[in-house]
Amino acid sequence: MRAQTTIGGLACVALAATLAACAPGTAEPSSGGQSAPATVDFSSFKGKTLTYVYFTDGPDEKATRDAIAKFEQETGAKVNLQIVPFADLNTALQARLSGGNAPEVARVSDWHPFADEAVDFKQYFGSDYASEFSAGAAGTAQDAAGHMYAVPSDSTINGPFINVDAFKKAGVAVPTKWTWEELVTSAKKVAAANQMPYAVAIDKSGNRLSTVLSQFGTVMVGKDGTNALDKAKAAKALTFFTDLVKSNASPKDFWLGSGSKYSGANEIFLAKQVPVYLSGPWQVGAFAESAKFTWAAVPNPCEERCGGFPGGKFMVAFKNSKDPVLGAAFVQWMNRAENQTEIDKTAFWLPTRKDLTEKGFDYPTHDADMKVFVSQIRETPEDTWPAGFDPAFTNSAKALIAETDKVVAGQQDVATAVDNVSAEIDKAIQGAK
Amino acid sequence: MSTTLTAADTASRAPERKPSTWTSMSGRPPSTSTVVRTTLLVAGALAVVAPLVWAALSSFKSAEELAQTPPTLWPHNPTVDNYTSGLQAFDFARYLTNSVIVTVAATVLTLAINSMAAYALAKFNFRGRTVFFLITLATIMIPLQVILLPVYQVVSSLGLTNSLLGLIIPPAATPTGVFLLRQYMLTLPDEMIEAARVDGAGEWAIFWRIILPLSRPALAVVAIFSVIWRWNDFLWPLIVAQDESKQTIPVAIARFASQQAIPFNQILAVSVVTIVRIVVIFLLLQRQIIAGLSQGAIK
Amino acid sequence: MTAASAPVRERPPRGRVHRGRVNTRRLAPYLFLLPNMLIFAVFTIWPALNGFNLSFYDSSNGRTFKPVGTGNYSAILSDEEFWAVVRHTLVYTVGFVLISTVLAMALALMINAQRRGRGAISAAYFLPIVISPVVVGIVWRAAFDRERGMVNQGLSAVGLGEPGWLVEPSLAMVAIIVVGTWIHLGFYAMILMSGLQSIDGSLYEAARIDGTTTWQAIRLITMPLLRPTLMVVVILATIAGFQSFDFIFTLTGGGPVSATTLMVQYIYENGFSYPIEYGLASAAAVILFVVVFMVTFANYVLGRRSDSI
Repeated sequence: MRAQTTIGGLACVALAATLAACAPGTAEPSSGGQSAPATVDFSSFKGKTLTYVYFTDGPDEKATRDAIAKFEQETGAKVNLQIVPFADLNTALQARLSGGNAPEVARVSDWHPFADEAVDFKQYFGSDYASEFSAGAAGTAQDAAGHMYAVPSDSTINGPFINVDAFKKAGVAVPTKWTWEELVTSAKKVAAANQMPYAVAIDKSGNRLSTVLSQFGTVMVGKDGTNALDKAKAAKALTFFTDLVKSNASPKDFWLGSGSKYSGANEIFLAKQVPVYLSGPWQVGAFAESAKFTWAAVPNPCEERCGGFPGGKFMVAFKNSKDPVLGAAFVQWMNRAENQTEIDKTAFWLPTRKDLTEKGFDYPTHDADMKVFVSQIRETPEDTWPAGFDPAFTNSAKALIAETDKVVAGQQDVATAVDNVSAEIDKAIQGAK
Repeated sequence: MSTTLTAADTASRAPERKPSTWTSMSGRPPSTSTVVRTTLLVAGALAVVAPLVWAALSSFKSAEELAQTPPTLWPHNPTVDNYTSGLQAFDFARYLTNSVIVTVAATVLTLAINSMAAYALAKFNFRGRTVFFLITLATIMIPLQVILLPVYQVVSSLGLTNSLLGLIIPPAATPTGVFLLRQYMLTLPDEMIEAARVDGAGEWAIFWRIILPLSRPALAVVAIFSVIWRWNDFLWPLIVAQDESKQTIPVAIARFASQQAIPFNQILAVSVVTIVRIVVIFLLLQRQIIAGLSQGAIK
Repeated sequence: MTAASAPVRERPPRGRVHRGRVNTRRLAPYLFLLPNMLIFAVFTIWPALNGFNLSFYDSSNGRTFKPVGTGNYSAILSDEEFWAVVRHTLVYTVGFVLISTVLAMALALMINAQRRGRGAISAAYFLPIVISPVVVGIVWRAAFDRERGMVNQGLSAVGLGEPGWLVEPSLAMVAIIVVGTWIHLGFYAMILMSGLQSIDGSLYEAARIDGTTTWQAIRLITMPLLRPTLMVVVILATIAGFQSFDFIFTLTGGGPVSATTLMVQYIYENGFSYPIEYGLASAAAVILFVVVFMVTFANYVLGRRSDSI
C-alpha cells in the first residue's frame, strides 16, 4: 500500500514538473463508515501499546503521568506519552497524520481540523455517551450531525487573580463583585501604593480578549455559526481595553512585544509588577509553587454581563492509528468520574463530567480559589460556549488580536479594527464550512 | 601549498610570525594604530559577549529582581532556584546523549559523502557536472520549514521516524558542505592528481590519500558547520523524534518554554545551561576551530 | 589560486594497458557523487518537487487536496500581507547582508593585523554562531527589554533615552538586523580571514617598497584578491538572510504588528497554524525559492566574472 503510493507519487512528480496534474498525498481517507457499534474489551489490551501526543501547561503533566501509570496497571497496556511544545503541536500532528503515522490519542485545543480522521466516540460507547458530560462541554465536542469526535477532557474559565498583600497594603478591600471601572480604579490605587508600574495585566490571547468582549455584551460567533459581533459593543470593549494598554495601565510593551504568538503575563504578576492579572485556573498550580506573596482568585468584573469566557482541551483518538479501539478506550478511561477527579485535583483543572460538575469535589490545596473559578462558570453567559468552541473561533480570535495590535500601535482607530474583525469573522465562518 | 599540508604543517605555519608578535616587539612602544585597533577589537568583543554574560547573571536573579527597574547588574540575592526548579523537569543526561550521538554521527556521514561529491564536482570533467553543481547550489536555498511535510512523508514511509537514524541521515547531504568543499578543492593543483594517476594510483586511493589530507582545513570548516547545525536543529528533531527518549536538547527546551505557566526566569536558567554546555565544548575546541577556519580554509 | 580554476580535462587514453583504468576513471565521478546525491534526491529534491506540485492544490489539512491550478499564486500575489512580508524580508536581507559583510570585512582586516590576544578575540566574536537560535532569541528578548534590558541600560547611561526596541515597528526591524549580524559576524570574519591569509605576503612587501599606503594596499591588493572569498560570504549571508526565522520567532514573534514577519515565518504559519492553507504556503515557498535562487545565481555569476577580469 505504501509502496504503491510512493510509485504513484513518483509518476506524479514526473508529470508535476511540467503540468502539475496529479493529486498529492494519499487518497481521501477511508471513512470507516458508520458501522455497527464497536465493542471495547478492556481486558484485551494486555501487552498492547498506544501513543498519546500531549502538550502540557505545567502541573497537569504529573497528574497525567499518574493516571497513565494507573491505566497501565489496570489494563496491562503501555502508554507512550509524547510531550510536544504547544506552539508546535499542530505541526507535529499534521506531519504524523500526513505521514501515515497517526498516534492513537492526542490532546488538542481544537478538534475540528482533525474531525475527518477522528474516532466517533458514540460508536464505541453508545449514542448517549455525550450526556455523561455537562451540557456546555458536551456541546463543544460534537458536530452538527451529532458525531462526537472528541472528549472534553478539561475545561477552564477565565478570571482574575489579585495580589492580596498589595491590596492589603493599599487598604483596598478584596473585591467580591466589581465592574471594570471599579477594577481599574482599585487596581491603580493598589499599584500606586505598592510602586507597581502597571494596574492590570491580561494574557495576550484571543480567548482572554474574548472575555472582555463578552463582559461588554458581545461574542464573535453565534450559536448558529453566524457572525454575532455587535459592532457598537465591540467598539466599546476595544476602546476600553486599548485605552488601558495605550496608557500603560496594562503593560504596552508586553502586549506589542510578542508578535502573533500567545504570551502569558504570569511573570509580570509573579514579579509583583501588577496587582490584578486576568488569566485562568491553570495558573493556580504554578502560583502555588512560585509566588512569593499571598494571592487569590476573585470574581470577574461585570460590565453589561458577568462571568468569564470558557476554554478547554479535548482528547481525540485517530481511526487510522494502529489501534483505534485501544485509543478510544484510553480516552474513555481517562475521563471516567474517578480518574478525571484525580487528574483535576493535581492539575487544577475544572471537571467536564456532568456528575462531577453537579456534585463537585474539593481540591486538596487552594480549594477556595478553585471554587471561585467554579462559581464563575455559573456566571458566564451561555452564548460564550458555542462562541468559544465554534470551528470559526480560532481564526476569528487571531484576527481580533491582530486588529487590536494595530490599534494599540496607533496604526488604526477602533472603528476600523471592529469592521476588520467583523469581516474576518465572516471569512472564518466561510472557511470553516 | 603544492605539497601535502598536514595538521603539523598547519600548526607550524603560525609560529613563523609568532616570535615577532609576543616577544621581539617588547622593546618598542606600540604604535597608535595598534592601540586604536586593539581597543576597537576588545570593545567589540566585549559587546558581543555582553548579552550572554547578562543572561547568565540574570538567571541567578529571582523573578522580582529580574523585573526590577532599573535593573541590577549583579544579582543581589543570588539564587539557584531557577536552576533547581527549571531543571528538575529535565532529563538532561538523556537529551545530551541523544544530541551528542546525532551530532557526531551526522557530522561523520556529512564529511564522508560531501567530500566525495565535492571531489567529483571539482576535479572531474563529466557529463552532467554543471547540472549536478547547479542542483546542489539551488537546494542550499530550500529551507526545511518549506518542505517539511513532503520530507516527513518520505522519512515515514522509510520507517525512519522516531529513530535517531531519522535525525542523522536526511540532513547529512548538506549542499553548503558540498559547495564549500568544492570551492576549496578547485584550488588544489591538478598536476598532483595526474601524477598520481601516472604512478598507477586508483581513483579511490587518490581521493583518500591525496585529496582528503590536503582538504583538511576545509573539512574542519564543514565539520564545525555540521556540528553547529545538528546540535541546534530544532524543527526536524521536533517532528521526527517523537518519543521523549529520542529527543534532543533544543526540542526539550522548546517544550519546556512553551508551557503556559513557566516563568521567564526559569526559561532563562535552562537557556543558560545549554549555552554553558556549548560554550565549554567550543572553548575546548576553540584552537582547532579558529585555526581550521583561518588557516586558508575557504578560498 | 582562483575559485574557478579549470577542472582536469579528459585526456585521450594513453594506450591499451590503461583501458580498464580509464573506464573506472569515467565512472569514478558518478560513484563519488552517488551517496550524496542519493540522500539528496530522496530527502530534498523529491520532497521539493512534491512541494512544487502541492502549490497547485488547495489543502486545509495537508492530507486531502483539491486542485486549484494557479489559484494559489494569484491569491498570494494579490495579498497585501504577502507584499508586506516581501518588503520586510527584503529590508532585512539587504540590511543584514550589507552590514554583516562590511563589518566582517573590517573585523577580518583588524584581527589579521592584530598580534596580541588574537585567539581570544577571535573566539569571542565567533561564539554566537554556536548557540541555538531559539536560545539566542530568548537571550536578546531579555536584552532588548525597554526598561530592564541591557541595551537600554547602556543607551540611557549615555543619555540616549529608552527606545522601545521590540515595540516600535521600525526599531524591531533594526533589532533583528542587529541580532542577525551578531550571530554571523564572527563566522563571516573567520571565512574572510582565511582568504586574507592566502594572499601572498610578498605582494605587500613589494607594495610597501613602492610606497603605497595601507589603505591603497587594501584597495589595490586585498580587495581584488579577496573577491572569491567575499563572494562565498555574500552568498552565505544572502541565503541566511532570506531564511531567517528561528531566532526572530523567539525574539519578536514576528511583531510588533507583523513588522518583523519574514517569508519563512509566513510560509510556516500558513502551512501549520490555523487556518491551514497548505497549497498557499507551498506557492509562497516556490516564490521564495525562485527569488533566492536568482539572487544567489546572480551573485555567483557576478563573482566569477569580476574574478576573471
